Amino acid sequence: MKTRIRLAAVAAAGLLALTGCGANAGATNTASDFPRKGKSIEIVVAFGSGGAVDTAARLIQPVLEKELGTNVEVINKPGAGGQIGYTQLTSAKPDGYTIGATGSPSVVVSPLDPSRGAKYTRDSFQPLGRQVIDPTVIAVQPDSPYQTLKDLLDAAKASPKSMTASTTGLQTGEHFAMAQIQETTGSEFAPVHFSEGASQATTAFLGKHVDILVANVSDVTDLTKQGKARVLGVMSEERAPSLQDVPTFKESGYDLVAGTVRGYSAPAGLPDEVAEKLEAALQKAIEDPAVVQKMNDLGLQTSYLNGDDYQQFWAAQEEDFKKVLPLVQKTD
Amino acid sequence: MAGVALLIPLTLNMDATGAIIMLCAIFYGTAYGGTITSVLLNTPGEAASAITTIDGYAMTKIGKAGAALTIAAVGSFVGGTIATVGLVAAAKPLGELGLLVGPPEFFALMVVGISLLVALAGKSMVKAVISGALGLLISMVGIDPVAGAPRFTFGVDRLLDGVSFVAVIVGVFGLSELLSYRKGAAAPAVHAPNFRSLLPTGKEWRRSAPAMARGTGIGFGLGLIPGMTGSVSSLLAYGAEKKFSRHRNELGKGAIEGVAGPETANNSHANAALIPLFTLGIPASPTIAVLMGAFLQQGLTPGPTLFTENSEIAWAIIASLFIGNLILLLLNVPLVGLWTSILRVPTTILTALILLFMVIGAYTINFTVFDVFVMIGFGLLGLALRHLDIPLAPMVLTLVLGPLMERSLRESLEISQGDFGIFVNRPISAVLIGLGLLIIFSPLLKLRKPKALNEDPET
Repeated sequence: MKTRIRLAAVAAAGLLALTGCGANAGATNTASDFPRKGKSIEIVVAFGSGGAVDTAARLIQPVLEKELGTNVEVINKPGAGGQIGYTQLTSAKPDGYTIGATGSPSVVVSPLDPSRGAKYTRDSFQPLGRQVIDPTVIAVQPDSPYQTLKDLLDAAKASPKSMTASTTGLQTGEHFAMAQIQETTGSEFAPVHFSEGASQATTAFLGKHVDILVANVSDVTDLTKQGKARVLGVMSEERAPSLQDVPTFKESGYDLVAGTVRGYSAPAGLPDEVAEKLEAALQKAIEDPAVVQKMNDLGLQTSYLNGDDYQQFWAAQEEDFKKVLPLVQKTD
Repeated sequence: MAGVALLIPLTLNMDATGAIIMLCAIFYGTAYGGTITSVLLNTPGEAASAITTIDGYAMTKIGKAGAALTIAAVGSFVGGTIATVGLVAAAKPLGELGLLVGPPEFFALMVVGISLLVALAGKSMVKAVISGALGLLISMVGIDPVAGAPRFTFGVDRLLDGVSFVAVIVGVFGLSELLSYRKGAAAPAVHAPNFRSLLPTGKEWRRSAPAMARGTGIGFGLGLIPGMTGSVSSLLAYGAEKKFSRHRNELGKGAIEGVAGPETANNSHANAALIPLFTLGIPASPTIAVLMGAFLQQGLTPGPTLFTENSEIAWAIIASLFIGNLILLLLNVPLVGLWTSILRVPTTILTALILLFMVIGAYTINFTVFDVFVMIGFGLLGLALRHLDIPLAPMVLTLVLGPLMERSLRESLEISQGDFGIFVNRPISAVLIGLGLLIIFSPLLKLRKPKALNEDPET
């Protein structure tokens, strides 16, 4: 059994190495005339239309068109938790005419688990810019006896798995956040995976079928206003603008940061000139006041990083995830 | 779903009320539009109309396409309007009602649904179970929703999301029927109805009324439950007709109840599903999630605050639901004559056209050729099943319910941390599971009695 696993791992590593080479080899033609007029640029969105990723891409699209002087089209390639779209993006020619929306944890995690057979790794992407961070929050029922984060985490440490907590599926941001909490504090919740996403998790929480709601800031802003959830902590560096009264985990004494992060990337091997043009246009679009305002309306906080910084951020996140990966992999 | 998603970009520059009304109308309008191709071409336009192909197309073959479409339009209007009345009258308590259904209750409801397999069985229970098991097996293809492991994907990443339901349905019902013609002499000629038979007869109206009532109830109840899809409603409405209708023996051969029930249920479901959105801000289905995205883009937050902060928009949308349902009725009944005239095309050509529509339909689900091959593969499977006299409806039932059932079972067990008692300790789920068992064993009870009298050797 063990040898078989090892064999599979070697085979997977070999495959990944091969695809890595393939992506780099394609980067030969430098185009100083990028973007050519009349040739449109595609933004591959690995999720369905109408969702947060798609909306963000459609909001920046008109600004990008103006900046780059050519057509920009948003193409939805949903499926398999982003894997279909990411595969399409990373196997496209790195000529700048195909870029894509990349969201973590999905893009970071999918290549880490060999059983998913992802044909890309982190090196298959060339990050161009980060757009938003949606920090993870932890909330309890309004009638819960726990008033502070410390109360809750101490209770979960004293009797592990006594409280159920929602995630939006195995190895999603919420699940990783819970694993990070467990690793740092020893507090353990019993995860319930709502693989259909945040709305199913919220519904189960509102119906009091689960005790704890682990979600993103944008999911709970409205629930808090209606008094249907009490948010005890936000896993961000600073307090979230829409939840000014809620302390961060850091303020409560836990050095933990987690959340959903979204940005844009190209297939690796983009010519420098093309990358620079795309990066500049993306920055303009992401920081455009009207776009920022619309994102705020959706409960999403714009947090721009340029390509290099986004790449570093991505690498750091991958390290964080690798550390707690055993905790989020089903053992049974 | 595709319709709403496709048109969102168009509405970005409209004012909020107009944009939302337009998207809502597309949302419930498709619940009607899907019927037309189901009835006339044996190709469901969308998943919720899949089951209508059985009796709808059977009616077309006996020259009653007009009656089927008219009843479908009226049923859709009735279902949609009653659900909207519910939204106006008691949105808040109804929305809270949906919250009572947690994962264990959801699972119990699915048990009731699966139990209707008994009703769909036809002649042989064993064959129905084979068909049902096949459906469950197919529904397992894709990423395991809880453990995240790929199942039966054979390394094909297109299969990570499972096989597309609409492609399977079009293949199993539509294509396999076309293929089965080849064996015989010629395709049976379908008749364009003459003007008088465009309208249902008095008898058909009378038979449809109870089916519409049951369809409205089923669609409305299930529509309130977040996570339930319209195809579950239409399937269960069909199952209910098979089980409870006075003319249940005619179902499958072109009975009007087989159109009225499911078509009423899916429109009732579509309109009822707006209730959790309006009262709780919860999108009950993926399509409604797209709709919710449109609300947010317009700076509106669906939920209880919608009625206090943007009451004029909220009520304008509700008023539009009434008007929209009425327009659908007024638009569709006179057009029935036009739709059915497609049947005037000579059979040989029409058959080829139907095949073309099936290929286009399968392709446009996700714009991949892969789904076309799925459709063809399942067409061959359907043909094999027809030859073996294995009923197709149980397979469709388990194919729709299987993933929902698995998901809720595993969520429930995560909540109880492995204790199966969660299904019987909670009153709603216990009652529902009891009901499911009762339906499963009811034919046995009926069979036993006369048998016991005739064959008991000790008397």
